This record gives sequence, C-alpha cells and structure tokens, in this order.
Amino acid sequence: MAAQVPKFSRYRRPSGAPPPPQGPLSRRALLRAGAGLGAAAALTPGLAACAGGQNADPRASGDVELAFWTHDEAYADFFEVSAEIAERASDFRYRLRLSRAGAEDLVTKAIAQAIAGRGTPDVAGFEIGAFPRLLRGVLAEELLTDLSGDLGDAADDLLPSRTAPFSRDGRLYALDSDAPLVVYYYRESEFERLGIPTDLATWEELAEAGTRAHERHGVSLGAVPVGSEAGVNTQGFEMLLLQRGGRFFDEDGALAIESPEAEEVLGFLAEGLRTGFLSSVAGLLHPPMQAALKSGAVLGQWMATWYRIYGLEPNVPEQAGQWRIRPLPAFRSGGVRTSFTGGTGFGVTRGKENTLAGVELVKAAYLTPSEQVRRFRDLGYLPTRRSVYEDPELLAIPDEFCGGQPTFEVYRDLIDEAPSIHLSADKSTLDTVLSGYLLQAYHGDISPREALARTAEDFRGQTRNSRD
Amino acid sequence: MTVPTTTPPPRAASSESPPPGGGGRRRMWAPYAFIAPFYVLYVLFMIVPILVACGLSLTEWVGLGTPKFVGLRNFLDLARDTSFHTALANSTLYVLVSVFVVVPCALLLAQALHTKGLRARDLFRVTFFVPMVLSPIVIALVYSLLLDTQYGLVNSVLKALFGGGGVDWIGDPDWAKSTVAVVVLWRWVGYLTIFFLAALQAVPKDLYEAAELDGAGAIRSFFTVTLPSIQPVTAFVVVTSFIGAAQLFDEPYLITNGGPGEATLSVAMFVYRAAFQRQQFGYAAAAGLVLFVVVFAVSQLLNRLLAIGRAE
Repeated sequence: MAAQVPKFSRYRRPSGAPPPPQGPLSRRALLRAGAGLGAAAALTPGLAACAGGQNADPRASGDVELAFWTHDEAYADFFEVSAEIAERASDFRYRLRLSRAGAEDLVTKAIAQAIAGRGTPDVAGFEIGAFPRLLRGVLAEELLTDLSGDLGDAADDLLPSRTAPFSRDGRLYALDSDAPLVVYYYRESEFERLGIPTDLATWEELAEAGTRAHERHGVSLGAVPVGSEAGVNTQGFEMLLLQRGGRFFDEDGALAIESPEAEEVLGFLAEGLRTGFLSSVAGLLHPPMQAALKSGAVLGQWMATWYRIYGLEPNVPEQAGQWRIRPLPAFRSGGVRTSFTGGTGFGVTRGKENTLAGVELVKAAYLTPSEQVRRFRDLGYLPTRRSVYEDPELLAIPDEFCGGQPTFEVYRDLIDEAPSIHLSADKSTLDTVLSGYLLQAYHGDISPREALARTAEDFRGQTRNSRD
Repeated sequence: MTVPTTTPPPRAASSESPPPGGGGRRRMWAPYAFIAPFYVLYVLFMIVPILVACGLSLTEWVGLGTPKFVGLRNFLDLARDTSFHTALANSTLYVLVSVFVVVPCALLLAQALHTKGLRARDLFRVTFFVPMVLSPIVIALVYSLLLDTQYGLVNSVLKALFGGGGVDWIGDPDWAKSTVAVVVLWRWVGYLTIFFLAALQAVPKDLYEAAELDGAGAIRSFFTVTLPSIQPVTAFVVVTSFIGAAQLFDEPYLITNGGPGEATLSVAMFVYRAAFQRQQFGYAAAAGLVLFVVVFAVSQLLNRLLAIGRAE
C-alpha cells in the first residue's frame, strides 16, 4: 500500500484557534535578537574608528623585532645590513620580519591593519604611485611618524625634490630610497649601424632622425605606454611634462594640467606616434615591450635610472654592453634635460612600541652617506643627499650593461636640473581620467588642448566629493 | 511493509504550554539551536555588512579617524557623478551581453554537446569548462599578449591574413568594451553549459518521441519540447547570470583595468576604486548600496516573471 504523504502548504491558523505556544524564544524574539546583534556589530567600526590612534610607550633600547613591509625584496636585504649600522648608532638590536605585498596592496593592508588596531608594519616602503592614498584626510597623520625632526645635519643636504612628494603641511612622512632621474637609454650599436646620431641636442632633432629611421628600417626610438594601467600611461607623459617644465599638481595639490607645456608635450608624443618615431606599447615593463626590445623594433627609451635593473637587464640580457645612457634631449622651447619618475618612501608607523627603533633604522639606511653610496652600488638607486653625488667611488663605477660607461657621471651632471614633484590625494583620479584622453589624443581623435581641457573638467567633476 | 498514515493522537497539553521542567525547555530550544548556525552566520556576514554599509554611506570616512556624518550628500554626489553614470551604463551593457548573448550561446553549446553519438563528449565539456577554473591572473597575462596592438598575436594574424590588423583592442573605447564582452563570453559560457546540459539530460525521451510522431522536426522539438522542459533551469541561469554580470569585476579589472579612461568601468569596479584606491569609504558604500538595491529589485522582478521556485 502506498503511503499517503501529507501535502505541505502554508499553515493558516483558523480563526478562533488558540495562539501558538510562546516558548522561551519566539520567532519575533529571535528576529529582535538578530537585529540587536546586527546593530551592535554595525557600531563596531565606529568604535574602532574612535580608537584609531595608537599610543603605546615606545621602547628605547634592547632587542626589537620589526615588522618590515615592502613591495621589493631587494630592500629587505639592504635593510638587513642597515640594521647593523643602526645597532652601532643606537642601543637597539634588530631582527626584521619581512612581509612582501604589491605596492597598492601594501597601502591597503597597512590601512586595514590600522583600522583593526593591530598588525600594522613598524617600517614600510610606500611606492610613490600608491603613497598619495595616504594623503587623503588624516591617514598619513594618524598612521605615520613625522620624520622632519629626525633629519639632523642631513636636513639641508637632502634633495628637496625627493622630500616634497612625501611631505604634507611641513611634515615629512617617509624618506625616499631613490632619486630616480630620467635619462635616455639607447642601443648604441644599432644607432651606429643605422646612422642615427647619438648626440642630438633636442627632441625635435631626434624626432626627425627617428622618423627617417622608421621610414627606412621600421624602427622606433622610443615607446609610449597605451595599455590598461592608467598610472603607467600617465607616467610616460608625465616624465616629459616635468622635463618641459609642466606638472600635474602645484605645490598646494591643485590641478595644473592645463598648461602650454602640457599641450606641447602631448602634441609631441601624438606626432611621434603618427610618424613612427615612437611606438605604442602596453607598458614599459610589459611583455610587448620586451618583444619590441628583443626584436630591435624599439632602440631607445626615456626612463628612470631603475629601468636598467628592472626593464632592460631582465628582458634583454643578450644586449648587455650595447646600451648607453645620456641626458634627455631638451625641448627647443625650454625645460631641462632630465625628469623624475618613481621612488619609494620608507615610513615608520607612529605610536607603537617599536616606533623609535624604526626611526633609527630608517635614519641609518637613508641618511648616512655610506649607506647612500652602498645603495647605488648594490641596488642601483641614486643618492638622495646632494653631497654624495661628488663621491669619487660612485663616479668611478663602470656599468657593464652599458658597455662600462661610468653612468654616475651622467647623473651627477643632471641632478641639479631635476624638477620637483608634488602629489595630491586625487592623483589616482587624475590617472584614470587623463589616461583615457591621452589615448584619444594619441589616436588623433581629439586635439591635445581638447584632451587636457576635458581631463580638467572630468577631474573637477569626479573630485567634487573629496574637495567638499 | 506498510507505512502508518494516520496522524498520532495529540499529546496532552502540548498545545497549551510546554511541559514543565528542563526537558520541555530543551525541546523548545532544539529547533532554534539547529537553525542557529546558519542564521548567526547570515546575520554576521550578510545583515551586519549591509547595516554597516547603510551607516557608512551617510558618512565621509578615509579609513582612519572618526567618520563624519554627511547625510545624503554621497547619494546626491553619485547622482551628479559622470563616472558613476558611465559605470552604470557599462554594467547594463555587461548584463545585456550576459543575458542575451552568453546564456543563449551556453544553451546552444549544451544542445550541441547533448547530440546523440557525439564522440569525445567529455573532452569537449572539459575544454569549455577550463576557462572557468583558470586563474584570472593567467587570463589577464594571456590576453595582454594576444591583444597588444603592436606585438599581439591577434593583430599579427589579422595582418598576415588580411593585411590590416592595427586594431587597438584595449586602447580604443569601443573595441575595449567588445574585448571585455568576448572575455565574459569565453569565460562563462562553459560554466553555464554544465547547467543546461544537466537539464537537457533530464528531459524525458518519450516527449521527443511523441513530438517526432506528431511530425515535429529538430527545430520545432527544440522550441516545443526542450525549452519548456528546461524552463526552471533557464530561469535560474538567467537570474544568476544577471546578478553575476551586474556585479562584474574580474574581467574589466584584469583586461582593461576599467579603461581606456573609464570606457569599461563597471559599478563593482567603481565601488572598489572609491574604497581602495581613493579612500572614499562613505562614497563607495553609497555606490555599493545603490548597486545592491538595483540588483535586488531586478532579481525579485525576474523571480516573479520567470516563476522561479514556484510549484506548478
């Protein structure tokens, strides 16, 4: 016999029937309890925010284990040696606990840990592209120690162009690990083979020679990033803009993109792409650029000092000895012969038990002349103290990848021309907006002036929220 | 063996009050204790974040310090923010592509895989499903190599075949949207095919036999037998595809990073960007709340239209 399965249907209490039993926890009570729990939990971030500031008594001596965060493991090795110098100059004995994360992730994690109230780094390296996030609101003030009072006799020697990006309202939140001057890399052997002069003084002359070389041999003398990373796209433009005397933001962080210099540089890049003097790539450190370098389609590039280490050497090791560097060709209408791009500022989290130890470590690594020399020798990063540029040891170092060229001589000649960079908390917004219009201008869809005007208009619209 | 079908006699006083003593109280707690784990987690990880987002959306907060109450200003700013409008339009496009291109393609693919006598059926299934299990990072890297304007494989092939090939797949706003749409199609079609294939295998064969006897061809059978039979699964796939596409993040983030400019920016990316690249947590919460309300409302509408979960 088949079982009769009762049919489930929505239960309706017959009118007049007694109410359901009220146990110790009714449905309504359960919902109320859930709502109460939710409301209590909803208050947690607010309470955590109120408790945002950290105020532990700093340790003044003894064994310390520093949480050291960086996006580049080479810094960890460098700081291990710096710790020994810091130990000689202080009463601390250091042990570094390394955490590595992407440049953007590092800032995100540092903020997240600060919200949680624990687990923040003691010392962290903030890549200059990610650092502007900390300039919004009270983030830098709440999170980082002001190092301006710890500079001692180095205060007047540090390059102002490298302290400006990490400063706000007179406070210095990080010490830059590099003075990444932009120079022109070129493949000397190929330039000679194709009859391209290597000593042309201006961009305009190089563009003429490059256009001819492209027509005859299909090569380009530089590449412009046009990929999906907005910051990379704007970086290619910003380097020449700074060289020409323009900038993205002024000293007060206000947008300064609508300038004759910006229009000229954008026009120059668009024309270079049109004539083939320049080639477009996804990014200067991306696989397509590697393909372009390997195949000899791109024979030169304006880029920072670190490009040899991270761009050329790993991607085209077989071309070692063929490359050289020189100052950037100047623009006929004005400007200087170099620029800046990149940099990583090391900061110390404030109000922690290890804050003093962290400050001593960063000072030892970035303020002592010997460490500035070692940084260039070991990592290829340029000194941030002006006096170190006269160091005979650095001036004599041959660069084997550049055919034994004493490259530091070029940097020494350029350092006093280097422009200043000013950051804004809205840099990321500018990157997004500008990147799109740069590509349209490169394609010839809009004029440089229109691209810059639209950028400024969109930027102001999108930063309405942060400006209020 | 017989199964008792009569309902047991009511226990004395059970409908009036719980039995006295600890045993009665324990019995009263028992059902709540059994369902509690789900509801506790649900409250903690669903209700609480929503409440927090509601509260946060009324503030200006950079992540540290005290949030500043700004009332509805974030919502008013969103209404005037051209970037948010662009993100909404792009997300709408992704939804349309997902519902009207990806879902039909998945159904057709499932139908093809369901064909009698198809050899290496499992190989095809695995092949179509592989994009779903690939690391998004790998996908981004491979597509950057394929789609580069100057040195990409796709343009090289086009140049070799047709002499052109200078398409800027990622740098041109229109092509970039198409690229994201193609990657969405490539990545999701195999996954949805699995649902349709399962549904097709459950359609009784005698229905097809009856249709054939009535003179229906393959196309007629598809529309009169297959589609009505798999309607519940189709409805489920449509709704989940809608929700997934409305919250699309991976593909535009990895392939175009929302660019060029904001040409492929989705609302989910807008929220991420505001919170984790611009430190505007209040603004991000407001945008997230708008997204939640729209997705919830449209999902409910689709649920009713497609009669999901209703007994016949």
